[in-house]
Amino acid sequence: MLMMIWRQFVMEWKLYLRDKGAMFWTFAFPVAMLLGFGIIFRGGGGPKLTVVYVQPAAQSTRDAALLKAMDEVQLKVLSLAPGEAAGRWGRGETAAEVLPDGDGYRIRLNSYLMAQGGPTAGLVNQAWLLAQARLNGSPEPGRIPLSVESPGGKKASNYAAFLLPGLLGLNLLSIGLFSVGMVNVSYREKGKFRRLAVTPLPKWVFLMGQVLQRLTISLAQAVVLLVVGWLAFGIRNQGSYLDLVVVMTLGTACFMSFGFALSGFAETSETYAAIANVFFFPLMLLSGVYFTLDSAPHWLQQSVAFLPLSPFLSTLRAVFNDGAGLAGHGLGLLVVAAWALGTFLIAVRRFRWN
Amino acid sequence: MSEPALRIRGLRKAFPKVVAVAGVDLEVARGEVFGLLGPNGAGKTTTLEMIEGLTVPDAGEIEVLGRTWAREGREIRSRIGVQLQSTSLFNRITVREALDLYGTYYPKARTTADLLDLVQLNDKADAYHVTLSGGQQQRLALALALVNDPELVFLDEPTTGLDPQARRSLWDVVRRMKAEGRTVLLTTHYMEEAEALCDRLAIMDHGQVIAAGTPASLIAQLAIPSVVELTFDGEAPDPAAFAVRLGEPVERRADLWEIPTRDPKATLPRLLETAEAAGVPYQQVHVRRATLEDVFLHQTGRSLRD
Repeated sequence: MLMMIWRQFVMEWKLYLRDKGAMFWTFAFPVAMLLGFGIIFRGGGGPKLTVVYVQPAAQSTRDAALLKAMDEVQLKVLSLAPGEAAGRWGRGETAAEVLPDGDGYRIRLNSYLMAQGGPTAGLVNQAWLLAQARLNGSPEPGRIPLSVESPGGKKASNYAAFLLPGLLGLNLLSIGLFSVGMVNVSYREKGKFRRLAVTPLPKWVFLMGQVLQRLTISLAQAVVLLVVGWLAFGIRNQGSYLDLVVVMTLGTACFMSFGFALSGFAETSETYAAIANVFFFPLMLLSGVYFTLDSAPHWLQQSVAFLPLSPFLSTLRAVFNDGAGLAGHGLGLLVVAAWALGTFLIAVRRFRWN
Repeated sequence: MSEPALRIRGLRKAFPKVVAVAGVDLEVARGEVFGLLGPNGAGKTTTLEMIEGLTVPDAGEIEVLGRTWAREGREIRSRIGVQLQSTSLFNRITVREALDLYGTYYPKARTTADLLDLVQLNDKADAYHVTLSGGQQQRLALALALVNDPELVFLDEPTTGLDPQARRSLWDVVRRMKAEGRTVLLTTHYMEEAEALCDRLAIMDHGQVIAAGTPASLIAQLAIPSVVELTFDGEAPDPAAFAVRLGEPVERRADLWEIPTRDPKATLPRLLETAEAAGVPYQQVHVRRATLEDVFLHQTGRSLRD
């Protein structure tokens, strides 16, 4: 029986390796995401905030002082003639601009880009205080010193370190929903299961081979991402590898069961794709894969904590980025385990060969 | 060996919208090639799938090689070979890999080289399944059905969609199965296929067996050994008035009239005389022997491929 599972497992791998499309999405794509986003946001806090400075008819000493101060507070200043600035604003590319207004200035913020505009306006005002102090010859306002650290305080890391566990989680979700759920719906739809059903091969042997193959894919994928993260960005696991394996295994079990369970609710691949996307996109966008949800409404943060991906990612980040033990994350692990068990039971109930 | 390969009593299956199989009894002897003949939707495939253990019957008894599904499913599966109406495999599995893999599912398996020879797929052994032609895929499906050296083989419309040459090469494989002593149960809606391959057959329509026997006995039972055909240029006219004048039944079929007769020698002169007198614009006259198609038409009032 072990031999049969092994043969099934080897065959699944062969078929998988021949499918170049699947290879790309499971290996190349996550690596490209990590490298791309990791490099773009290398600075840690993202790129400098940009402010458009609309040039006055003639530049005064006051204008020069403001420009210098804006540069000092780390703003990227784009100094444009009024016509050019108006064009840029009209195309919706500008988040914040400083315009001459009567005796002073006015800041105009783009209502669509408040996430950049808000902090930019704060920095412009800070620069203005600095400039005024210098112009008046009064003492410069002091600044509170600032340091950048990861939440667990283990090591100050960059955005790639935040992204990497997010991608690991996203991959598990996509293997579960697509490589497991989608594949099983299409096997059933195309009658591949029926051909197996007329042989004496026990069904569980077939499924076990498939499950083990998906497990090793997600493992291989995790290793590839960890190695790339280490080589390209110097990101290393800060916690215990045992804890890491425990969290990853629980996550894999959870998302594979999730895919299996969903596959029991669709007759055709088209229906399944629609159902899977209903779960995939909200989970991806709301679970903190790419960014934290600290600016989202409180109720939303409370809700996603009970969906599987968010507690998985916070536990994974705690272990991987901050070297925390699992003890403090019992609730998150419990939520993931509950999803794993619940979806597994649904999967067993709903699974059909025909 | 006296026990039949297959025995079915009172088999029934209803789906939400249609009664697919409405009480079928069958018995297939060992070593026999048995055909289920009927139009699409007659219940052939549902019958076969119940026998293969894929569909659970609503009522009735099935004994496969003297075993029942409820108690000896595993044993039945290891002794039968199945070709489904469409066999779907992984796209990128090679012919050789598929045969090797399916061989591992059975306690005893024929060698892959042997099977490749049998279905003449040697030069395609390392080709991916997805690259095979329709005929080659059907031959692979046949080889898979023979992987375990089965005593009883089920073939569901093995030649549907194949060109005449591919069909004949599949017929050869079926004949070889019989020569090797296997029992074969096949479904088809081609009457010439049933005549060419089957020792005995059952004609199905609306979920029931409406006639059974050897091809020759079925035609003999019809008691109308010959059919006269009048062909027309274009669509045949309504034969009702002519049938009354002739005093014999006339069937209209697309571009011809069919007049079944026991005695063509006596019927023909009278028929041509009447046609001449009535001014029937026919083109040609043919006299042919009755076929299974006529048996089916006689039993059901419609053609096999309608």
